[in-house]
Amino acid sequence: MTASVQAPVFAQEKVSKTGDIPGNLAIWAAILAEMSEFAVMFVVYFLAKVHNPAVFAEGPLHLNTLAGTINTLVMLTSSFFMIRAVIAMRAGNPLACTRWLWGAAISGGIYLVVKYFEYRWNTAHGITVETNLFYGVYYYVTFNHFLHVGWGSAAIIWVIYRINAGAYSSTEHEGLINIAVYWHMIDLAWITIFPLLYVIR
Amino acid sequence: MSSDNPKSQIRLVNRLWLLLIGLTLFSAFMAEQPAQGLISISILALVLAIKGRIIVDYFMELKGANKLLRTLMQVYFYVIPLMIMAVYLFPEQIASWATLK
Repeated sequence: MTASVQAPVFAQEKVSKTGDIPGNLAIWAAILAEMSEFAVMFVVYFLAKVHNPAVFAEGPLHLNTLAGTINTLVMLTSSFFMIRAVIAMRAGNPLACTRWLWGAAISGGIYLVVKYFEYRWNTAHGITVETNLFYGVYYYVTFNHFLHVGWGSAAIIWVIYRINAGAYSSTEHEGLINIAVYWHMIDLAWITIFPLLYVIR
Repeated sequence: MSSDNPKSQIRLVNRLWLLLIGLTLFSAFMAEQPAQGLISISILALVLAIKGRIIVDYFMELKGANKLLRTLMQVYFYVIPLMIMAVYLFPEQIASWATLK
């Protein structure tokens, strides 16, 4: 009797509803910690900027705006693939979900390749970590973000493997939601980095 | 956001993706402008606020989800754009606050 009463309640909890936390609380603790870490970097950027206005006004002009723009488009598109993957899983289509996830993971890979060539381009143009304070901040922030994209992409591939193994269903796919919201966090960090380092002088 | 109507959600996120792409291309265009004044800095700060809000509400699906989480994530995209404005408008003042005397 008890079991027959509890079962529907348990099933109901698995469906997204108003006021819920998407994914689990642990991933949100990680996301808020990471957002705080990036916030500290942004505060460092703002303080370094007000103390060195000339260096920070000049800095973005010598960065590769095209590489920064391409990577912004790639990150936003990968985030879009991610929400489409979540929608597909909820609609009971795990195959479509994995296709969208491959799109997101490959976008992550493209981002890393573009960043690699951007760093090489910088070096060829005499821009290194020690050129001045602006590029010091640029390398510190962007390389940190680069690492996030790397392990985020690896985590997406892990989730694809889990889906192929039949681990998730249309109602139970918390692992997918966890990587989805984490990946959007990486996107949020980048859309903040892009105007600060590449656009605003 | 739930599975109530996946088709309308798909239509919405497709449009938001195009909007995000458009806003990014616009920012890139602003980066190439020879001079940046108060108006262009304000627009760039606003663009960041809009992009952040779209991702938090519709890609992370925090609209209608836990209020505290949504607020915490949204605050980020008020504070950073406001800091962009503050640093542009009052750089000496902020520098003096952040100087050890």
